Order: sequence, then C-alpha cells, then structure tokens
Amino acid sequence: MKLSARAKVDLAGYLWVSPWIAGFLLFMLLPAALSAYYSLTDYPVLEAPIFVGFDNYTRMWREPDFRDAALRTLLYAAAVVPLSTILALVLAALLCGGRRLTGFLRAAIFLPTLVPMVAAGMVWMWLLNGGYGLINQSLALIGVEGPNWLGDGPMVLVSLIIIALWGVGHSVVIYEAAMREVPPSLYEAAALDGMGPVARFWHVTLPMISPAILFNVVTLMIGSLQLFGMPAVLSKSNEGADPRAFTFFTNEMFSQAFLNGQMGYASAMAWVQLLFVLALTGLTFAVSGRLVHYRGG
Amino acid sequence: MQREGSHISARWTPTILLLAAAGLFLVPLIWMLATSLVSAKTAASGSLGPPGTFLQELPLHARANYEAVWNDPAVTFPIYLRNTLVVAMLGVIGMTLSSAVVAYGFARIDFRGRSWLFGLMLATMMVPFPVIMGPLYLIFRELGWIGTLRPLWVPAWFGGAFSIFLLRQFFMGIPRELDEAARIDGCGHWRIFWRVIIPLSTPALLVVALFHFMFVWNDFLGPLIFLTHRDDFTLALGLQLYHSKAGGTPWNLLMAASTLVVLPVLILFLIAQRNFIRGVSGDGLKE
Amino acid sequence: MAAGAAGFAAFGPRGARSRADGRIVLDYWEKWTGHEGAAMQAVVDEFNQSQSRILVRYLVTAGIDQKSMIAIAGGDPPDVLGLYNYNIPLFAETGALLPLDEAAGSAMLPPLEAYARAIRPMLSHPDRSGRLRRWACPNTGGTLALYYNKSLFAQVGLDPARPPATLEQLGDFAARLDATTQGGRYSRLGFTPTEPGWWPWAWGAYFGASLTDQPCRRALIDSPEHVAAFRWIRETAERLGPERVNAFGSGWGNSYDSINNAFLAGQVAMVLQGPWLASVINTHNPGLDYGVVPFPVPASIADGQPIGLVESDMLCVPRGARHPDASMEFIAFTQQPLIVEKLSTAHFKNSVLAQVSPEFVAKHPNRGVEVFNAVANSPRGFRAASTRQFPQIRSKMGSLFPKVWNTDEPVEDLLRSTNTEVQSLLDLEYEQKARRGWKGGA
Repeated sequence: MKLSARAKVDLAGYLWVSPWIAGFLLFMLLPAALSAYYSLTDYPVLEAPIFVGFDNYTRMWREPDFRDAALRTLLYAAAVVPLSTILALVLAALLCGGRRLTGFLRAAIFLPTLVPMVAAGMVWMWLLNGGYGLINQSLALIGVEGPNWLGDGPMVLVSLIIIALWGVGHSVVIYEAAMREVPPSLYEAAALDGMGPVARFWHVTLPMISPAILFNVVTLMIGSLQLFGMPAVLSKSNEGADPRAFTFFTNEMFSQAFLNGQMGYASAMAWVQLLFVLALTGLTFAVSGRLVHYRGG
Repeated sequence: MQREGSHISARWTPTILLLAAAGLFLVPLIWMLATSLVSAKTAASGSLGPPGTFLQELPLHARANYEAVWNDPAVTFPIYLRNTLVVAMLGVIGMTLSSAVVAYGFARIDFRGRSWLFGLMLATMMVPFPVIMGPLYLIFRELGWIGTLRPLWVPAWFGGAFSIFLLRQFFMGIPRELDEAARIDGCGHWRIFWRVIIPLSTPALLVVALFHFMFVWNDFLGPLIFLTHRDDFTLALGLQLYHSKAGGTPWNLLMAASTLVVLPVLILFLIAQRNFIRGVSGDGLKE
Repeated sequence: MAAGAAGFAAFGPRGARSRADGRIVLDYWEKWTGHEGAAMQAVVDEFNQSQSRILVRYLVTAGIDQKSMIAIAGGDPPDVLGLYNYNIPLFAETGALLPLDEAAGSAMLPPLEAYARAIRPMLSHPDRSGRLRRWACPNTGGTLALYYNKSLFAQVGLDPARPPATLEQLGDFAARLDATTQGGRYSRLGFTPTEPGWWPWAWGAYFGASLTDQPCRRALIDSPEHVAAFRWIRETAERLGPERVNAFGSGWGNSYDSINNAFLAGQVAMVLQGPWLASVINTHNPGLDYGVVPFPVPASIADGQPIGLVESDMLCVPRGARHPDASMEFIAFTQQPLIVEKLSTAHFKNSVLAQVSPEFVAKHPNRGVEVFNAVANSPRGFRAASTRQFPQIRSKMGSLFPKVWNTDEPVEDLLRSTNTEVQSLLDLEYEQKARRGWKGGA
C-alpha cells in the first residue's frame, strides 16, 4: 500500500499520540459512557442495573441532602477561588520583588502543599479543636474567645477555606515564575510614565501573566468543586456534630455510591457535577476574553 | 524584576511580610513536628502542656516515637512506604515517558486533526474524577485488578493531559533548526526525540516527574477505592489507621508518621527547586 | 536517592498475603484498635492455637462499612467481616453477605434464643422472598445507661445511693448540679443531651417512640412520642441556654478518650453513655466514684423494665469469601459463652448472650455491668431501624437535633419535615425493591 506523503505524516502523528488515545478510550471515554448509562439506572453494584430513565436526575433536586451538598460546595468554591488567587498573587509579587531568603521563603510557602491529606487533616483537626486546639488556646492568651471551628456548618466551611488558603503555595510558585518572565523593559517604560509600584503591578504585571491566572483560576475552580478528602477526614473530629456540615458534593456522591447502594444515582450526580464544571469554566473563559492578554507567538 | 523604591522600608517590607506569611504557613508543620517528639499525654493536651514540658520530654520520646512508628505491628509503616514507592516509581516513569512521547507528537508532527485532538485532551482536564470513578472501579473489577496496586500506576503509562500540555509547550520552545540538523544527518522522529528533544528538556521533565510523584504520594481517593488488602495500602491511606473512633488516637505517633511522610517530598522539592521553577516557567504559560 | 528508593521499592518489606505452612488463611477485618483490638487479637490467637487447619489474621480497618462494601463489590472481600448491627440490612439485602443458616457450619452456631433479647432481632433479616434468614453473629454489644458522679451528688446534697428514677427527677437533680462561674459561664452541668450527643436519633426511645413501623414502611419521626421527646430536648435547651452549653462544651468533641473527657473531668455530673466509658474511666481517672442506672424515663411510660439503646458489633461472612466453612468455624468459636464473656470483660461491655455466668458479673471491671446486661435483655430495648436506609435516617436525625437544640423553630414542624424526608427514603426503598421483585413488604 503506497501512502501519500500527507498520509505518512498523519500516521506518524497518530502513532506518537496513540498512548494518550488508548488511555483516553479505556480510562476516560469508556468509563464516561458507562457512567452516563448507569446514571439512567438503579444500580446497587452487587446486583444488575435496571433502567429507570431520568428518574435519578429528577430525584436529585428533590433531595435536601443533594441541594445542601451542592450549595455548600458552590459556596466553598466561590470563596476559595478569589481569595486563593488574590493571596497567591500578593505572595508571588512579594517573592518576585524580594531579595533575601527567597528560596527559603518560597519553600516555606510551598511546603504545606506537600503534606498528605490525611496528615494535614489530622493536624488541622487538632489545631481547630474548640476547647483544646492551639488556635483557640492562643486566642485565649490575648483574651479572645475563639469559635468552635468544627462545630457547625458555617464554621466548618470557614475552617476548610482556611485550610485551602494554607495550600496556596502551588499557585504562588506558578505565578512567581510567570512574573519573572515579564520583560523588565515594560516596567522601565511604565516607571518612566510615572506609574508607582501598585500601578505597575495592576497595569503591567497582571495583564502579562493573565494567561497563567486564567489557567490557575480554572484549575482551582475545578478542584474546589471536587472537594472530598479534607471534609472526610475532618468529619471524624466530632461524632455528635451535624454530618451535613462535612458533606460536600463528592462526599455525598461517594456515600450514595458505596454506602447506600445507589451507584446509578451517584453517577447522575457526577454528570451534574460535570455540567456545573463546564458551565462555570465556559463562563470564566467568556469573561476572560477581554481581560486576558496573550503575547504573540 | 520589579523595581522597588529606594526607601529602607520599601526594601525590607516584602521580606518582612513574607517572613510573617511563611511563619503562619509553617505553624501547623512546626506543631506537627513538635507533637511528634513528646509523650502521648502531652500530645493530647493540644498545646503541648505547660512550658518546659516539651524540652523535658524531647530526649525521652523523640526517638521512641519514631521507632514505634517504624516498628508498629498494626500500622506497618515500612510496608506502606514500599507500596507508595512502587506506585510512585512506576507511575513517574510511565507518566514522564508516555507524556513526552505524546507531547512530541503534538509539538513536532503536523498531522491532520492535531489541534482538534489537542483541544479534546485539554477538555478532558475538566472532567471531574467522580464522573469516571465508579465505572473505572467496575472496569478494574472486570480486569481483576481491584485489590492490587495496578489501578494506581497503569493509567500513568498512557500519559496525563496536564503533563502532556506542559511538555508540549516546552518542546515548542526548542528551536526547529536542531531537528533539521538531525534530520539532515538521517535521523527519523524517534532519534530526534531521544537525541535532541529529551536532553534539552530536563527541567520540564523534572517538573512532570515531581508533580506526578507528589500526586501519588498524597493521593487518597484512588487508594481508598482500589486497594482492599491492608498490606497494599499506601502511606496516604495507612495514616488513617492511627485515628481510632472517638478519641484514643496516639497523636504523637500519628504526627511522627506524618512527619516521616512529609520529609522525602520536602527534601525532593528543596533539591529540585531551581530546576522546578525553570521548568514551570520555561514551559511558557504563554498561549 | 532515586536509586535508594528504587531499591527499597523492589526489595523492601511486603505484607504476608498467605502462609506456606499449609493452613487456610482467613482475613478478618475488624474495627478495633488499642486495647479493644488487643482483646480481639487474643481471641484470634486462641483460635489459631486451638487447631491447625485455619489461621485467622486480625486486620484493623478504618471506615469498615465503606471499605468492605467496596471490597465485596470489587470481588476481593475479606473472609470474616466485623460490621455494626445497622449495616446488616443493606449488606444482606444487596447480597453482600452469605446467609449463615444453611451453610455446612450453621449447626455450630448457637440458636437465636441463646442471645440477649434485644440483640436477637438484629441477627436476622428477610431475604427477597420474605423469608427470615440469619446473617450475623454478635461478638460484643453495648447498651446505653446513665452514668452519674457520686461525689458530685454528695457535694450538692443529693443522695448518691438514690439516682434519678424518672425523667422529671433527672431534670431536678441536673438543675441542682449545674454550677456557674462568677462571669456567668458554666463550670459544671448536671446533664446535657449534647454530651456525648452520639445518638441524636435515639431520644425517642425514652418516650416510647419508634423510628418506623414494623416492616419499616412508614416513618414515625413525627409521632406524638417523638414530639414529646424532642420537646423535652427543647425545654432542656431553653433552661440551659444552648450557646452557653455549646461554648462550655466546645472542647469535648475530640476528648472522649482522655483525661479531658467531660464526665471524667467533672464538667458534667451525669451522662448517657455505653459500657465503654468505664474503660476510659479506668484508664484516665480510676478513682472516679461513679454509679450506673437505667436512663430514667417519664413516669407515665415507666413499667419497671429498663429502657435503653442497644447496639452490637456483628461478625458475618461476605459473599465471595474463599473459605466460607472455615469462616463459620471461626465465628462459631467466638460464640462460645466463655469466649464471649472474656471478650466482653476486656472491652468493659455487657454480654451479648441471654445467660451470663456469676463470675462474669462478679469479676467485671464495669460497675454498671448488671444495668447494661438488663437493658440488653429488656423487652423494651431500642434498636436502629432494620432498614437499609438507616444510615441516612441517622444522618437526617443528626441534622434535626441541632435545629431542635439551637433554634426556636416549632418542634412539630421540624419533626414533620424530617419525617417527610425519611418517608421518601422508605418510599424509594420500597419502589426499588418492588422493581426487583421483592416480596414480603419493605
């Protein structure tokens, strides 16, 4: 078989990309298709699935546990994404401009992201203990009565946001690297125009690293909507607390799938989660259209 | 680099702010380390007891705690360490290799449908793991892999969207003239890949390897679903076993175990920091 | 460093999955760590030494109900599984367990009558044809009763030998035991339902309520009995002031097994707890002078029989276990009266059997063991609803309780809306079972 030059190039290309294609088909497309199918069934996993049409999807919205978990997760993401981004940008700017101990400081900020979830959860669980935790004991030293951090829904949310901000190091490193890529000539020009440091940051730095910000924001958003491990670990801290306080979207999905024999319903939840992600990502991209400045090339 | 004002305060302010921030970030970790060095009772008191207790107990308990963790018959730390290393090594090699290969295809070969396929790949990064979690579990069940380590590292050998993206950007920054030169010498894609691209890509490859290593090291959800035998547990999952229901947790041992788990990755990062930064920025998050 | 890691990975220690000395190896997953785990390990060791065909490995598992379901569904289950009694309905109904009444080893198991009255019904559950099958054997159990601090009683002028006998007396005594600091904060509470607050779903027990009707088809969360129960919770909250109580107890959550335990530290004078608390007392404050009495109920519903929540840990055999007969042999071993008593004693718990030897009571380290035993054998023992939806029911009651405690929304309304949610869970269960051809009601 004689292949044209074009076809030879195509063949080579697909050959090189084939590992990913194979993985995509086996570990992404196939499970996704199965998941879509299961979402239309009643499937207790140990017995065969039975087709129920869109029952799972309609059932979801009637369930207070689902609405609660969804709302809780959205609130979490809505808080974490902006706060985390702002904090990361500020820290990255400081690292970029600082001269001393940069390596040490960067490592200190990045270090929390290296701690495994369970260990971090246990540490924070104890730090946040209402009566004996380090945080409240320190606050007591200065005469402030600390709240019961893991006592009820709103406080648990606040605690989880704090823990998320503790893990901001990942974004900081990426932003700092992007900031260092900005040509100094742009800053010089801006300074000549009479811009102070803050104005330079706003009008030069931010636009120049805007692709990195976009990428990070989207990644952060997707990650926040999938929050699972930390609330799962923290929920062990207080047997008597309202379990809903620790139940986020993925937690609810997980217990439905594996504890309640509702794999079909859980699959439907997963697809709704995907829709949320797509919608929010699309929104972000649309909004970013005018804000993100892509350098040529 | 941003230029700072010439006032002393302006020069020192960033450093001071950063020191304060770094301090806050480190508090939980310092506390973790401190708790790992004392007795169980003091550890349970939350603030490490009256001042002076820490120094008193340190010489007695520090070594004992870490030895207890290493030798614990119920929570077999060395076994979990081994399992995690197996998954990490196999995963890192697989991920780096396969992602580099795929990235080369995307970066250097102009085949039809390339941008479409690349876009599809990027889109897959948006698919939440829970969507595929259940069926993935069932697929592995059919393969008989539930209860083995395979579900945790085999998928890495098919590349990962993030790594491929990172490497493709980096490869695109390598001048084509080098490829041309090699081609003139009679090299096909395969040799160009190994002789030209790979050697020049060490920072980016390091980033990919490090990111995947960290992911495996800390992954909790994957092992939770796919591992059934306690002997197969990874560190992330094994740490859970210290926490018993309703108190009675040996906090000092748990913190010692946690410190042991954090240490290797920390050292890795410190060593690789410079390359890491180069790799992340060199990949050009420019579009 | 990479080379070292690779070496460790390749040649490092690995777990022993099976032994080469010809014995059948059984993996026994159980939830207990610490001294409770050690006690069970001792039973396992005794079994292993008593014969040479089977070797049982005791494996601690966190989140055991979740992990075991995943393992069973994944085709790689353990050989013997230690669950909670409220897991049995779901596991049995979805086919995750092997019934114990027809296998070859079933003759080795004690008859149902051998078990404590309130525990007996937990061991069986109907299969899809409506037939009652046996799914589990209990290894330890626990019931709830009221612990009270005798020294504190004496301190405020109450007779330590006469603990509260009715619910009304409980309220009176508690009020006398409350103490505040100069700043108006609590320094001690007589009794608060929020410590430990582990069973928000079980308060109806002391008012004669049930969570559901008998075949678990109708939810009864808003029954008059439950209304009475939660009204009592609301009255207690109003009397004590929920924010003040919550502030006082903000550190209790993580302090159960430590010297900071609220009851041990004298911060509460009376607490509704299970027999395991005696173990904590023994470890951290052995000098505490405590007594145990069945939880006092309203005079109107008392009939002399003790009332309390009854729970039990269950041994069962998962579907897909490789050697079910060997698993049954091990389970049968654990059901011998001597073994049961030994394990229960080590756990400070009451016995799961209907008959107990005099030595058990005489030598038991828990002062209140007779009370706990009596509750387990009482016809008025209160159990988790035997429906697969129970974990979710429990969760919803867990959300209900803080609303009753902290807010002033009308109790009936709160109960009614929780009842609606629970009813829709039961309806869903019924619908899903009907679809699969289940007979015999829910």
